[in-house]
Parts: sequence; structure tokens; C-alpha cells
Amino acid sequence: MDLLEVEKLKTQALTDLDLVDSLTKLEEFRVKYFGKKGLVTVVTKDIVSLGADEKKALGRALNEVKSVIQGSMESKKLELEKSIPSQLPEFYKSLPGTRPEIGHLHVITQAIREIVDIFKPLGFTRVRYPEIDWEYFVFEALNIPEEHPARDEWETFFVDISRDEKYGRTVITPHTSSGQVREMLKGNLPIRMLNISRCGRRQADVRHLPTFYQFEGLVVDKGINISHLKGVLNYFVKNFYGPEREIRLRPYDFRFTEPSFEVDVLCSNCLGAGCSLCKEGWMELGGAGVVHPKVLEYGGIDSKEYSGFAFGWGVERTYMMKSGTQIDDIRHLFANDVRFLEQF
Amino acid sequence: MNILLPDSWLRDYIKTDATPKDIAKALSLHAFSVEKMETTKDGDVIYEIETTPNRGDALSVVGIARELRAILPRSGFSVAWQPKTFPVFSPGIQDSLEVVIANKALVPRFSAVVLENIKIVPSSELIQSRLQKVGIRPINAVVDMTNYLMIELGQPMHVFDYDKIEGAKMIVRESKEGEVLTTLDGVERKLPEGVIVIEDGSGRLIDLCGIMGAENSDVDETTQKVLFFVQVYDPVKIRKASMTLGHRTDAALRFEKGIDFEGVIPGLYAGVQMLQESLGVVPSSALIDIVNIPYTTDTVELDYAKISAVAGVDIPKEIVDRTLVDLGFELEDATVKVPSWRKGDIALIEDIAEEVIRIYGYYNIPDNIPTGEIPNVCEDKTFYWEDRTKDYLKYMGFYEVYTTSATSKELAGNNAIELSNPLSEDFRFLRTTLTSQLIDVVERNRGLREHLKVFELAVVYLPTKSGLPDQPLHLAVAAAGEDYLKFKGFIEGLFEDFGIKDYPPFSVEVTKTNVVYAELNFDELVIKASKVKSYTPITGFNAIKEDLTLVLPQGVPYPLIEEVICAVDPRVVNVLYKDFYENKLTVSLEFLDTSRQITSEDTKGIRGEIVRVLGERFGITL
Repeated sequence: MDLLEVEKLKTQALTDLDLVDSLTKLEEFRVKYFGKKGLVTVVTKDIVSLGADEKKALGRALNEVKSVIQGSMESKKLELEKSIPSQLPEFYKSLPGTRPEIGHLHVITQAIREIVDIFKPLGFTRVRYPEIDWEYFVFEALNIPEEHPARDEWETFFVDISRDEKYGRTVITPHTSSGQVREMLKGNLPIRMLNISRCGRRQADVRHLPTFYQFEGLVVDKGINISHLKGVLNYFVKNFYGPEREIRLRPYDFRFTEPSFEVDVLCSNCLGAGCSLCKEGWMELGGAGVVHPKVLEYGGIDSKEYSGFAFGWGVERTYMMKSGTQIDDIRHLFANDVRFLEQF
Repeated sequence: MNILLPDSWLRDYIKTDATPKDIAKALSLHAFSVEKMETTKDGDVIYEIETTPNRGDALSVVGIARELRAILPRSGFSVAWQPKTFPVFSPGIQDSLEVVIANKALVPRFSAVVLENIKIVPSSELIQSRLQKVGIRPINAVVDMTNYLMIELGQPMHVFDYDKIEGAKMIVRESKEGEVLTTLDGVERKLPEGVIVIEDGSGRLIDLCGIMGAENSDVDETTQKVLFFVQVYDPVKIRKASMTLGHRTDAALRFEKGIDFEGVIPGLYAGVQMLQESLGVVPSSALIDIVNIPYTTDTVELDYAKISAVAGVDIPKEIVDRTLVDLGFELEDATVKVPSWRKGDIALIEDIAEEVIRIYGYYNIPDNIPTGEIPNVCEDKTFYWEDRTKDYLKYMGFYEVYTTSATSKELAGNNAIELSNPLSEDFRFLRTTLTSQLIDVVERNRGLREHLKVFELAVVYLPTKSGLPDQPLHLAVAAAGEDYLKFKGFIEGLFEDFGIKDYPPFSVEVTKTNVVYAELNFDELVIKASKVKSYTPITGFNAIKEDLTLVLPQGVPYPLIEEVICAVDPRVVNVLYKDFYENKLTVSLEFLDTSRQITSEDTKGIRGEIVRVLGERFGITL
């Protein structure tokens, strides 16, 4: 043991101390140097066996080194203690974190995303068509001639711009089915279309808004039949609502499909037993059907070779029929009260 | 259209072991939805049935009974059909009616008879009770008969006081604009042009055809003789008139959906029989039956393979045939004759397929997923960027809102297109901007949130010279209680996320109430957006960062300063705004030389050059 070694011990200790970043490590450090078998402790014991002169010189140097290291340890300790509250460190850990400010996506956006995510794997591609469109695509091309009573079903808003020779008046699309013939006219077969869009109808009450969203599926291919329509809709319903929610098809009449159906889903509340929220155990989802041959012809498709099916349902309505949504008044959706928005 | 029908009345026509509950379920699955069932005090059940617009024939007891005749056997119940026949009456000779119809298309079929020995007394209890069950108020035996048979047979009927028809003459014609008539309900109605009306021998209007009779020819306490009246009118004219007048009667709703042409005379016989039995009335005229448009039977070529192809499952020929016969179709080899009560509704093999398959049961068809070719299309990339934008803004603390497409003049923006038939003034104009409604949302929530950031991503409607309006997607953002530059930074951050280097021009404005807002054409952003990230090799040399504070004269915008600094030397790799106080701008500069380690000697030179150029171009000093 000589002075050089003592000096080396000091350098080593201070370097080690530099790396200490917690109170636990500081304790480990203390044990390493000052514990029973600590490096400093051992050296101190060694000195005893030396001659008097040597003992004196080395002893002084060692004391100095000791006090330097202990001083540094002390300041290290203060530094570490300052970085966390000295009292109740466990309590501090139990406090809530400082959260980033996160906003909210509107419930309609969330519903649309869920719908898209279910249809995408079946090969459906999302499209967008004009929200303000010609009467032709909304009615005529869907086999609903002028003056036909079926036009009553859609309380249509007319837009005050000049009439087109071929396409007639301009309307706010009262349904997404206006996209059917537009999609067919692209001339790209087969078709698996998902058209989600804003629509408008002249109505306003607890269940209806003048602005609302629909999603429309259209499949046109060789050999498409009712079993495909049932399969796709069942796949959607089971994925969207859960495996216990069965569907049923009821006959209906739409001018642009033949046969036409209303699709019902088992009531989320009573699951078929019948309750005040549903009709004899079932809730009405919306319309569907096999594409009418005249509509295919309007779309420039040979109805002898191709067939198809279509469905068009309200996004809000479909979403609100999920169990647990509990939105009692559809008017909340466009009222934009933050107390409503932040719940989604 | 919903109708009410008592179970007991249906059982006049069908004998079955099916309970009302069974009937409701079978009807819902195979024909029409039974929306409600109500049990009455006398133990009857009233069905509320939603019929479809194409099925005028189903707005009747006999129509629903015909459906059940086909459906119930498929659902495992017994059915025996109990037909009703109505005897031919012996005509009288004493009274007559002169009928003038210039435009035959108005009344395809006109039938009537004069009945004498009329007594104005109440109907039997059964008739009164059945009418009440379907929501019709009993009046007297004569009027009740017309309502009763309308519900039972689906054929609207009318009775005039024969003696009130001046000159025993009827001229059926279209109204001229401004003609006036008072209907049975006491309402004076000013007619538009083209409504089917009847004028009597004195020139008075005595009937608003197919909608409601006139007060001046109605049956009252003094009536001795009636003209009993059963017609088929042009459905389009009835519909138009009833809509224009805002008078949607049970009769009009049936006429406009089409009447069973072959049911007219049996209906008339049924009415005469009812009044003969109850009141002892006697026909005092011959049967008047004018056929203006002869009836022809529609036919469809039967294609069994097509029916199975639509169903996606093989439906045997025997089932097809049996179903069609049960529904009243007649089969002749491969041709199907459409029953008169379905005329106009069945024209194609697809229509026949629907009839067969719905009775077969949609629940008997398996669920399949379409196989076949993969469509050759690429999704419009806008949807991807929309999702990305919405997520970005959400995680930046924005609330997404949805506002309406039509709004008030104030909120719609400049040159907004008008609706022809708005719901109210608040929803008359199609928005050309999203901003106004967004600011409105922020203002309306002020009491709830001092700090609020909102956005909407939606289409606006811009007028064009011709054709449809332009309908670009816009993104609007607005906030209250937000720092201006921080708010602007959210938008620039979005550009960065989109990989857009050359920012499209946009401006962030502030309202008097301190709402910050901006609106962007989203379609243009999508065009510029890119998912491609290109890699620049990472150098082993370190960059040097230095601040530079400049004294600015008036009128030099920041982007220009930044652009000029960057252009001075390629070794200036980054210029960041740091601070602006009074007229002093501090920017942070980053210098990097990719070929060797840059030194403070080098940066000193570049800084000198920057200051020189800025001074020269804008008069900026240190």
C-alpha cells in the first residue's frame, strides 16, 4: 500500500459515485467502500500493520480521501433526495399522472369506422358520391318514375338551381342509393361498393334529423343471389352487435330491388322476448334487396349475365341499436354540446 | 301505410288452427309486418299491419286473408278458405242517371245503382263494433255500409242523396283552377286545376272524386233514395289532387295505389245485398256499368330456374306452382296469369320470384359469402387521410363536431345556394363554409368550457354556372382560450404529418370574441399529401446551433426571412423561430457540413453573410 494506491482509490470512488443515480445505489456504494469488507475499510485495517512513519503519512492521506468521498456522498445524497419529495415517496407514486389533453371523435365517425372495418375484409371498397345530386340518380335510375307514390317515402329537399334537361331537378340525396347507378356507370365489374354519406330529408323529431348518415352496400357479380345478401348482412350484424343478435328478413317493397326486404335484428334489451323498446322482440335495421333488373340496365349492366344485392341503412340508427349506447334523442348528435361530445 | 284489422273479421274468410300470435308471426315473416296486437274487451285481437306501398289490395280484410291462405300452410297450420258470394240484384226501371265522361282516362270504370226505400237508422251491433275496432266512427246504416266494405274488400265507395243530384245528371271532368267545393267535413276547398270532380245538371260540383263527397249531395235524415257509387279512378290524378289539397283520406290512399278492376261489380253487389238485408232497400234503376278502359289480364313467362337462381337454393317446381296458385295466380303451361288485384305490381319473372321465395321463407335460405373475382379497384386515398387527420386532431385535444348541411343565411356564408322547400329559415341555405357553424359551436359552449378546440371535416356546397354545385371537402378548426401561434402550429403540424413541405396558403383569423379559426380545402391537402418518406444518409459530423437576433423593419413577413436565410448557404440546415419581442426576432440556426466537421469559424462566416443579405434585401439589422 502506498500513496499512489490511496489516490487511485479516491479516483475510483469518485468515478463510481458519479454513476449513482438513486438512493438505493448510493447505499450500495456505501457498502462497497465503507462496509465491513469495504475497500476503504480494508485499507484502513491494512495500515495498522505498517511502520510508524509510513502509518502516519498514509493515515493522513487516507483520512483526507475518506472525508472527500464522504463529503461527495453527502452532497450526492442531498441531490438525490431533492429530486423526489423526501416524505411519502410511495404516496407520491400513487398520485395521478399529468395527462395530455386528448379530444374526442364524434360518435358518427366512430360508428362509420366500425362499419368500414367490418366490410373491408369482405372486399368492399369505400366510395363517395355527390351529396347534392340530380333527381335522376335519386329516383328515375332507381326505377321510381315521376309521380310514383314511392317518392313519398323520402321527404326530399329540393335545391333551387336550374333544372337539367336529362337529369331533372337537384336534390339533397335522401338516401345513399343514388350512388348505385353512379357506381355501375363506372363500368368496372364486379362491384363491391360501400358508400357512406351525408343525406338529407325534410323531417325533424326525436328519431329523425334533416341531416343524417347512411351506409350503402352494393354487390354486382355473376351468380349473386339472396343467400349472399343474407350471408353478408349476417356477418355484419354478428360482428357489429355480437353473436347473440340474430337477424331476420321480412318481405318489403322498394322500387329498386326485387325481391325487397326489411332486415330486423333481435332487440338488444329483450333478445326476442318482446319489450317496450321493440316490435315483438325485433328491431328494424333497414332495407335491402336483390338489385332490380331495370336498375342494372340504367347502370349499363346486362341483367341476364349479372345480378346483385344492395342495402342502405342509417349510420346513427344502426349504431344506437347497439346495447349500451343509450342515446335517447338523436338530436344530441348535431347539437354539439361538449357534455355530450366528451362522452364518446 | 298501416291498417287495423280485427282477427274475428279475418276468420270470416279463413278457418285455421293458427292462434292470433301465430298469424302475426307468419304474416310478418312472409308478407307484412305486424307492428302491434291489441286484445279488446270482447276477446278479439286487433292487428296493426304495415302494408307496403305496392300492395293496395292488402288494405283490406280479404287481401290479408288471401295472403294467409298461402302462408299458413307453409308455417304448418291448417287453412280452409270460406268464399263469400254476392248475388246479382234485380234492376229497377223507375230511376236513371245520365253520365257524361269526355276524358275516359279519368274514370277507367264507372258503376252505380239507385236504391230506394232508404231508412236512416244505425247499423247492426256487429257492424258498428267492427268499424270502431278499425278506427271508423259509425254514422248510419247507409254510410256505414260503404266504410265497412272499403275495409273488407279494399274498394272505396260513396253514396249520394239521389234527389240532390240536379237533373239526375253527372258530368265527370277535371276542375278548372279556382273552382270551389265544400266537402262532407264542412271544409270549403279551393281547387287547383286538374282535380277529378263531378258536376250535376245544374252546374254545381257534387263530388271531389276519390277523396271525399260534397256536402251539397250528402245523405242526411231526409234522404229517400241514394245513388250507390263504386269507381276506379286514374290513380296518379287522385294522388296529385289529394297531395295538393292536403286531404289524405282512406279512400284516396286506396285509389292512388290502384283498385281491383274486377272487384268493382262484386263490391257493388255486396253493398246492395247488405242494405237489402238490413234496410230492405230496393234497386230503382238498372246497373250502370261504364267500362272506359277495358281490363286485360297481365301474364308473365314462368322460369323455374330463374326463381331458384334468385333464391340461391333449389325450390322444387311443385312448391312454386302450389304457392302461386294459393296466391291467386293461374298457371297455364309456362305462363302465369296475374290476379286482377295484383295488376300493375307483377310484371317480371323477378316479381314472381319474390312472391314464391317470400312464401317459401327467407329463413329457409342459407347464409353465404360472395365468392368470385376480386374487384379491380383502389380506394380513394382521401378516406385514409381523413382518418389520419381526425386521429391527429383528437390527440391534439380537439373535439370533433358534426353540423348540418343546411343552415341560416348568416351561417351559410357568401353566395349560398337556397333550398326550394326548407324546413324553416334556420335551415334554408346550403353552407359554403364550415367556419361559421364551428364558431357558433364554440360560442354556445362558452359557459361550459373556457378552453375548447373543435374541428369538422365535411363537404361544402359551392355554386357553379351550370350543373351540380362544387362539393369539396373542407377541414375547419376553431378554438377558444387558445394561443394564436400554438393554434397555427396544430395546422402546420398536420401538414408535417401529411408529408407536405410547401404549405398551401391558409390563414388563421380571430373573432372579436377571441375565437381563433381556420378553414382549409381538404381535397387540395390530399393531393399534396404523401406517405413516401425518403432517407437522407446520417452524417458522422455534429451540427452547431446558434441563436441570431434581428431587428426588423415594418412589413417583412417571417416566411420570407426564413426563406432568404436558408438560401444563403447549403450548410444552414434548419431555421427555427424562437422569439419575437417588440421588433426583435430571434431565430435558432442549425449549421451542418456533411463532408467535414463544421467549426465556429465557418458559422461566423455564414452568419456574416446572412446578416449582409438580410440587410441588403429588407434593411434588417442586428
